[in-house]
Amino acid sequence: MELEGYLRGDYIRNIIKEGKRLDNRKFDEYRNLEIEKGYVGEKACGSAFVKLGDTKVLVGISMDAGEPYPDSPGQGVMTTSTELRPIASPYFESGPPRQNSIELARVIDRGIRESGAIPTDKLAINDEKVWVVYIDIHILDNGGNLIDAGGIAAISALLDTRMPKFEDDTIIRGEWDGKLPIECTPIPCTVAKISDQLLLDPTQDEEYAMDTRLTIATTDTINAMQKGGGFGTLTDKDVDDAVELAFSKGNEIRKLVEG
Amino acid sequence: MKLLENGKRLDGRALDEIRDVKIETGVLKRAAGSAYLEWGNNKVLAGVYYPREMHPKFMRDPTKAVLRCTYNMAPFSVDDRKRPGPDRRSQEISKILSEALSSVVLLEDYPDAGIDVSVEILQADAGTRCAGLTAAAVAIADAGIPMRDLVSSCAAGKIDGEIAVDLMKDEDNYGDSDVPLAILPRKKEVVLLQMDGKMTKEEFKKAYKLAFDGAMKVYEVQKAALLSSMDSVEGGE
Amino acid sequence: MMDVTDRELVFPGRILGEGIERSGNSFREGRNVFSSIDGMARVKGNAASVIPFRGGYTPKESDVIIGIVSQVLRGSWLIDIGSFSKAYMRGEEVTRDALNSDLSKYFKIGDLISAKISEVNELKSSQLMRPWKLEEGLIIDVNPKKIPRVVGKKRSMLNMIKDKTGCKIVVGQNGRVWLKGNNIEIAIKAIRKIEREAQSRGLTDRIEKFLSNELQSR
Repeated sequence: MELEGYLRGDYIRNIIKEGKRLDNRKFDEYRNLEIEKGYVGEKACGSAFVKLGDTKVLVGISMDAGEPYPDSPGQGVMTTSTELRPIASPYFESGPPRQNSIELARVIDRGIRESGAIPTDKLAINDEKVWVVYIDIHILDNGGNLIDAGGIAAISALLDTRMPKFEDDTIIRGEWDGKLPIECTPIPCTVAKISDQLLLDPTQDEEYAMDTRLTIATTDTINAMQKGGGFGTLTDKDVDDAVELAFSKGNEIRKLVEG
Repeated sequence: MKLLENGKRLDGRALDEIRDVKIETGVLKRAAGSAYLEWGNNKVLAGVYYPREMHPKFMRDPTKAVLRCTYNMAPFSVDDRKRPGPDRRSQEISKILSEALSSVVLLEDYPDAGIDVSVEILQADAGTRCAGLTAAAVAIADAGIPMRDLVSSCAAGKIDGEIAVDLMKDEDNYGDSDVPLAILPRKKEVVLLQMDGKMTKEEFKKAYKLAFDGAMKVYEVQKAALLSSMDSVEGGE
Repeated sequence: MMDVTDRELVFPGRILGEGIERSGNSFREGRNVFSSIDGMARVKGNAASVIPFRGGYTPKESDVIIGIVSQVLRGSWLIDIGSFSKAYMRGEEVTRDALNSDLSKYFKIGDLISAKISEVNELKSSQLMRPWKLEEGLIIDVNPKKIPRVVGKKRSMLNMIKDKTGCKIVVGQNGRVWLKGNNIEIAIKAIRKIEREAQSRGLTDRIEKFLSNELQSR
């Protein structure tokens, strides 16, 4: 654990009791969000660079022709991976990042997969082959709330994705054949619980101070949830409030992502 | 496939009815505490060792013990053999189970130490993370490791468009949403919450309520198992 | 108000009472006191505590423990006391010039000792003093929570077992018991019986009878 962040924890918990945040945001206020689609547009089929406060995430989408899962013939495949690059935090190498990065990838994956944003049934190429969509999430600067930043970047990149041209049983790299169809825009929305308050979009310092967090990914329905990031508990009311926040904030962010 | 007939499920349960849960404590000799749990067709073994020196060293915390729960599915626990060893799903489950258990164990009694909890899924029939967590909480209590409360768990999901508690595998395969929940039964607070699928706000609230009530029923089974195990210890002649 | 009766079985999170005094193995939230373990509630006046049936060993000052030498360091030893925390013993316990002597002359890796805990710091790591080497004999592990019963009030139980069997016994509060000499098997049987029946009444008499029977039938 980062010692300074640990030491700031008490201070943060105390000012939150007084209704304040270290960066003066309101409890239900997101940090400034910037989305740049097509950031690495030469090679990747789709990409998006997202800045959420000082958190920076780059997502690249690669597409390949591959085999479907045996239990779902004719259905395209999606896989999501994260890399917590050592560049993003001095602590990404030393700690036990494996479980953290797996959780991050899986929560983002669930929001996209369960919402049906990628219509896998439309991704068959021929009788044997289907499109495989790789979502690779590169964390470049960890200023906190990686789930939201990564999830927003992932769906933004998917909306930017072009279908590679496929001829004579091979992919022609660098040539495109329309866009990847995307059916809806799932948005993850994370609250941290600190001093019995729910705070939207926690910074890294707030993550050190938090008791727990709850992420909810929504479209017009709820598609994924994950409590994680600490040993604290949630009350019924916390869960209700977080659901409300996820829908209202999700709608705002969706406009930015689709825009 | 039709999963509901006259409001009854494939195995005759009502929508708000959980499967039978049985728990036995002290089933392993070497573990400090253990529990064997049957939950419908799920069969789960949980064991815990006494706090011991934490390895690797860099994970030590001088203010409290670090609790690590390892969730593992036996290769033969599912229809298609599961490749042995930790996959991404089990790593994620291990993480959230560790967090849920860490919220009740009095970790500050054991600075610098590690507490290892193992959850072995021997036979899987949906709801294994809830079953594993429920068994793990009993195993920790069985070891005499101090806790503020137990952890009780249950899931709810959607079948044929209806919200139902504690899906079994046949329902889960065709069902389209799942909300695993774990609570502190005394304080009525949430220590594990996940969801995947598609649910409206109202559907989610219903599922949450059903899972919560299911977990409270599981709590009764946990308490009974702990009390009856002590009864036999105490007896004497 | 007390919510449990004396000797009632309780589990973690079970309420013991409201506005009562709290002692071992319980915790307070607001005015309420709860059990933190699986065990037997004991009520004395307005105070409740819980006796554990199981549990590991946490070092406590002035406990006599049985340890195993696990490392010989410069000027001290590292001793395994069967707990989650480390125990050290200074070379000065046996020699004036600890830093310049080969301490393995006194105790080497694998040696069994009994010693007293002189100090426990905030990390629960402990200092040992007055070591005594235990040679030959047999070591058994007993549930540390049952050790008080094995020893008995004013060592009555332990002395009785020693007298009757003629066996040398050293009991460590950390759950290790060392035995040497006559009738070892009978002494072990008695200790196991105490371990199993620790919470029941009239135990001393029953153990005494048990020992007599066992010794006669030899």
